Amino acid sequence: MFRWDLDKTYLRSEFSTFTQLLKSAFEKAEDKRAVPGAPALLRALRRERGALGRICIVSGSPTQMRTVLEKRLQLDGVEYDEFVLKPNLENMLRGRFRAVREQVGYKLPALLRSRAQQPKEVEETLFGDDAEMDAFIYSLYGDVLAGRVGDRELDQVLSKVRAYPDARKATLAAAAVARVGHDVVRRILIHLDQRSPTARFAKYGPRVVPIYNYFQGALVLFADGTLSGGAVLGTALEMIASGEYTLDALANSLQDLLRRGRLALAEGARLAFEIERADIEMDARMAAALPPRSEIAAAFAARVRALALGALPPVLADGHARIDYQALLASDALKGH
Amino acid sequence: MLTIAVDAMGGDNAPLETVRGAALASLEARHLQIVLVGDQRRIEPILEETRHDAERLSVLHAGSFVTMDDKPAEALTQKPDCSVLVAARLVAEGGADALVSAGNTGAGVLAAARTWKRVPGVRRAALAAVYPTEQRHGDKQDPFSLLLDVGATLDADADDLVAFALMGAAYASRVSKNARPKVALLSNGSEAGKGPASVVEAHKLLTSHTGLNFIGNVEGIDIPRGTADVIVCSGFVGNVVLKMLEGVSETVMSLARYAYKEKMVWRLGLMMLSGGFQRIKEVTDWEQYGGAPFLGFDRLYIKAHGRSKQRAIANAIKVAGKAAAHGVVEEIAKGMREFEASRQGGGAKAG
Repeated sequence: MFRWDLDKTYLRSEFSTFTQLLKSAFEKAEDKRAVPGAPALLRALRRERGALGRICIVSGSPTQMRTVLEKRLQLDGVEYDEFVLKPNLENMLRGRFRAVREQVGYKLPALLRSRAQQPKEVEETLFGDDAEMDAFIYSLYGDVLAGRVGDRELDQVLSKVRAYPDARKATLAAAAVARVGHDVVRRILIHLDQRSPTARFAKYGPRVVPIYNYFQGALVLFADGTLSGGAVLGTALEMIASGEYTLDALANSLQDLLRRGRLALAEGARLAFEIERADIEMDARMAAALPPRSEIAAAFAARVRALALGALPPVLADGHARIDYQALLASDALKGH
Repeated sequence: MLTIAVDAMGGDNAPLETVRGAALASLEARHLQIVLVGDQRRIEPILEETRHDAERLSVLHAGSFVTMDDKPAEALTQKPDCSVLVAARLVAEGGADALVSAGNTGAGVLAAARTWKRVPGVRRAALAAVYPTEQRHGDKQDPFSLLLDVGATLDADADDLVAFALMGAAYASRVSKNARPKVALLSNGSEAGKGPASVVEAHKLLTSHTGLNFIGNVEGIDIPRGTADVIVCSGFVGNVVLKMLEGVSETVMSLARYAYKEKMVWRLGLMMLSGGFQRIKEVTDWEQYGGAPFLGFDRLYIKAHGRSKQRAIANAIKVAGKAAAHGVVEEIAKGMREFEASRQGGGAKAG
């Protein structure tokens, strides 16, 4: 099961100024742009994971934007099973202005309610970004489901983020139903829209992987056994065809994951083997814009050769860090988590 | 897309500031690819703590590096895998378009000399320094002029000085967008016959065999005035001039600090002028200019100040990108070809 945020995770959204916010609110579906590779990755997850490839979108965009956002996803050929948006107008009409900006008291109960509908054994991969608090919320969600964060700690966190009393109550109720008692959130991918330093996410443990782009996202999921080499190639090709990515940029992205210990060298070799045999569907325009596979392989191999392989860090093992959520909230630098 | 190789281990503040500078450039100069050459075990932790764009940045591991105190020739022989040599090789092989280093100048020059070729006609390379001036220069109204050589070739003959003039003019025309830069020889008088024999002979050659906008000889006083866009001298003279100019600048700042402490009235006066001082500081701040180009090779080498911090490194990378994009080397080669043809033909001016 795959959960996606929209703004800055799937969509290229700019709303750091009021003008940009206004523009984003009134933009047509045709004018909105997905982050390169995100549509290809989502389609691949759906196609390759079959019944396990349930796609759930939980976004902080207001419910009034549903039609436009749905149309954008449709234009990108992305199918989904759930689409939850934030009732911002309702919040404002009820005078709950804090809730318009606050994310924990909105996203966490939304995720827990959705989870309660799923079988207990279903594993999840979550996609967010570094513009708000996705790494924090997703990690907390995973730890609540696993039983590492109990009601008392959860309530203290909700109190610290100044969630409204009814939102606190609803979150605790949803947690009680959704809690499964073991780890089901397998991976959290954080799109570095703001290019935040990757070290900032170390405190969340190896489950959270900051990624610069969806080629890296696809590589991590390939190493996890979630996606095929063909899906990685398909994502890369869509990114190159977008005109925003060069082969060099993708090769650098591969090297970055190796240097950070987020991808094992052996996975790179396995990927090369699979890519050689992958059958990718693409239109003639896309095919014409792409370099031959041998050139892609050569560029990637050059970046690997540039490294001292003996000096690469060991790949971070799966496992879950003990996260002090309250301490994190008390620190100044939570934005971008 | 252009690629700039950065000697990550070179400089007083390396690798911390060089890596941070490259990180900054990866965010600000989105048309460039940057290769950090150095010890990946030391580079990676800095990158992970620094905001950067990993899509525009890669690492090429080098097992050793030359310190600021190392003797260049010995160091390059004993450390064949040192960062500056590995970076120079990368540029020579076409893996990058230019080299930026804040490290040991001699080692950088030697690494370039061992791995690159000289532009045909150029016998000796020259290190050029940008110096802030009263007058502005070129279409971009750059507030500095170019002084070369400032230390690469201690004793230059007339042919070397002509080559320096052609190289400096090529750099100014391509990087500062100054189509007809004013070129001058540094001497002890403005008359054509003034100065040592090499300067007198170079004056003749520049007048008769190049089409440069040669304005003759200038004196030391003309350097800060900005009378010329490109000022040519031997490395010995240039280095003395450069260090003296730096010394004057530091002394003025010391005097201002003294005045600030000494009398309340002076302090008030300085405070009233603080905006102006800030502007002067911005204009004269070497960190803004990034680095000094090393000219004469068939590849580009930008030497950043040894004390460079991240802003200076980032600017040096941008200067390298600009020089590579605007074909400085090609322009130098063209100027040298035309000069040689003119001299052999005994007539038509070139340059």
